[in-house]
Amino acid sequence: MNKALRSPITYFLFLLPALVLFIAFFIYPVIVAIYYSFTNWNGFANYKFIGFDNYIRVMSKADFWASVKNNGFFILFSCFVQVPLIIFFSLLISNVKRLRGLYKTAVFMPSVMSTAVIGILWGFIYDPDVGLLNKILGKLGIDPIMWLSDEKWAMISILITNAWQWTGFYIVMVLAAILSIPKELDEAAMIDGATGIQRALKITVPLIMPIVSVVIMLSIAGAMKAADIIIVMTKGGPAGSTDVMTTYMMKHSIASFKYGYGYSISVLIFIFTLLITLAYQFLIARRAERIEY
Amino acid sequence: MKKGLVLLTTLLFIATTALTGCGGGAKESGSSNGTTTPETKTDTKTETSSEPFDLKLRHTQVGESKKNRFNILQDVVKKTEGEIAGLSVKLDGVESEVNRKEKLRAEMTNGDPPDIFDAFGSPDVKLYAENGLVADIAPILDELGIKDDFLSHTQWEKDGKIYGLPVGASIEGYFYNKEYFEKNKIEIPKTLAELEAIAEKVKQDGKIPFAIASKDAWVPLMTTNNLWTYYAGADVTKGFAKGETKWNDPKMIEAFAKHADWLKKGYFKQGELGLEYATQRNQIINEEAIMMYDGSWATSVFADKAQSGKMHGKVGFFMMPPLNAGDGYSIMFDSNNGYAFSQKAIDDPKKREAIKAFIKNLYNEEMQLRGLKEDGVIPSMKVEQAKLNETAKGNDLLEAILAQMGEVKYTWPAFDALVQADVNTALSQQIQKMISGQATPQQVGDEVQKVQDEANAAE
Repeated sequence: MNKALRSPITYFLFLLPALVLFIAFFIYPVIVAIYYSFTNWNGFANYKFIGFDNYIRVMSKADFWASVKNNGFFILFSCFVQVPLIIFFSLLISNVKRLRGLYKTAVFMPSVMSTAVIGILWGFIYDPDVGLLNKILGKLGIDPIMWLSDEKWAMISILITNAWQWTGFYIVMVLAAILSIPKELDEAAMIDGATGIQRALKITVPLIMPIVSVVIMLSIAGAMKAADIIIVMTKGGPAGSTDVMTTYMMKHSIASFKYGYGYSISVLIFIFTLLITLAYQFLIARRAERIEY
Repeated sequence: MKKGLVLLTTLLFIATTALTGCGGGAKESGSSNGTTTPETKTDTKTETSSEPFDLKLRHTQVGESKKNRFNILQDVVKKTEGEIAGLSVKLDGVESEVNRKEKLRAEMTNGDPPDIFDAFGSPDVKLYAENGLVADIAPILDELGIKDDFLSHTQWEKDGKIYGLPVGASIEGYFYNKEYFEKNKIEIPKTLAELEAIAEKVKQDGKIPFAIASKDAWVPLMTTNNLWTYYAGADVTKGFAKGETKWNDPKMIEAFAKHADWLKKGYFKQGELGLEYATQRNQIINEEAIMMYDGSWATSVFADKAQSGKMHGKVGFFMMPPLNAGDGYSIMFDSNNGYAFSQKAIDDPKKREAIKAFIKNLYNEEMQLRGLKEDGVIPSMKVEQAKLNETAKGNDLLEAILAQMGEVKYTWPAFDALVQADVNTALSQQIQKMISGQATPQQVGDEVQKVQDEANAAE
């Protein structure tokens, strides 16, 4: 038995199913995407190779770069607004003595709801005439804001909704990390006279940095592939001002019968995501210290 | 021995996994092997066989405003199931814009469209037909003897073959609050200047002149399309794809500028770019707006008390007037939306028979008149005028629409039936930019023309 398990063939055979699935659902589509991105394929038959024409055309479109910028907003909002909030609320909930389970469930709830439901729900909140937000602003004597119709507000409205949907999911992850920190560390600091804020900032936060790093990583990946919330809430509008790369790709490939062109955008999304995650890994994540208690 | 056992178990596991993965494919290939070509029809066998089989039908009759259309479809499906032994029709409802621009296009690329599907004849179905994905149903129409009963199949024809059937026809124009017009002694406008004067008066009265919801760009483009046919000619749109006319022609720019001028003057609801099409009618129903440019299909909403509330029976219709009195009305009239049928389904004799029964049950005078009465859809088949008038009796709005159709001088199909899909995408983007103040009329024309040139060069 041991001899059999030492044989590389056995391991290879065990790996084979996963490998087949990985090749079929990841490697093959990537190769196909790269292949077609150099063609003028319309989604059906007859195509010819046109070199880098699709890439040149995409890169020359101001609307494409506007969509890249919107992906950037997603990342920045996630890292600099959402993550601090996640840490803040996780610290609050971790210190709650009663009904912690209720709080955990309450914050986690949006992440199990369908994006379509959330989009419609927030659509009502943002409604310019009868929406909750404008009603509140009205009480304060502020003119109504066209949240989803005005290009100045539409993107931030989506970012807030997206953050509302996913913050709870990450809070539960960070909370698990906080609760796994040995109590002795906190107690020792308390005996030494550290205040609650000092203990949170000097002990808890540094100890949960590995999981925060994962949260940032997942947020970046989520930001790069964001599409559903935008489609439900604005369809990329008004006038393309909330388009991200994926929604831009859908409009200009499937809806326009230009699949070759669409594939070139998908390859660019792949490259950009790879570069950002690699940069994050090498520049930030790797520097994070390994935590050992 | 032990090593052999482990290897054998591993191989068995892999083989099982692989075979499980292949299961679906094997079933599919079996069924496709069992099909025969239309030339070897087995009609008698099909009629007597009660072996169950499914037919997937993609429709777009979703939502309250389309409930009458959905009822008609359900009755047709029920009747068809009753006539074809073993048939079970699986209804698959998808929102129209999503079906047209995303779902169906992706299914076509995969070569696996539903058996029967809601589609737009031009340019969509013609492109699918070029690639052998949609069936020529001219032989079925011949068998049923209804080939010449349609007003027009032009938008569904290619090289003498017919690739689908329009479910109805439609025109576009202004629905308006009759009570408001009467109360304020406003006459139906005979020129565009008169229409603008009404809009100004309504605005001064604190109401919104034109209801609008432009989240989907085709909604404001209905207005722009009508404007450019008055400024640049009824046939101008036909020339874009042929390179004979240009989007940035001065006359086209004048039309875009007129739309932009109305935007600037505040004739449309503020924040229109964030509003869904369905909410446009609400602006009329809650009397926030006085006029609304829409298709004749909106009649069903105003004819239904449950949907139109206190505005029931109080909505009238007039066509967009010409620039000068006496120039003649120029309106959108087309029958580009309907049902098409997958080639794979037609190649299966049982499905072909079911599709034939579906066509027989949907495309007949009774259903066309029912569509007119219950849903306000103008028949796509030839029906005597007297029968149309009789059917419309009691529905003032419908009577007004039918009566005004007689005054039309020029008709044209909607722009999206005449230009390439990528031009439609560019125009949609640009008109929304113009609405949000990010593009001037000239920029709209220039940007769309650039994409038009690329699309023409690619053909």
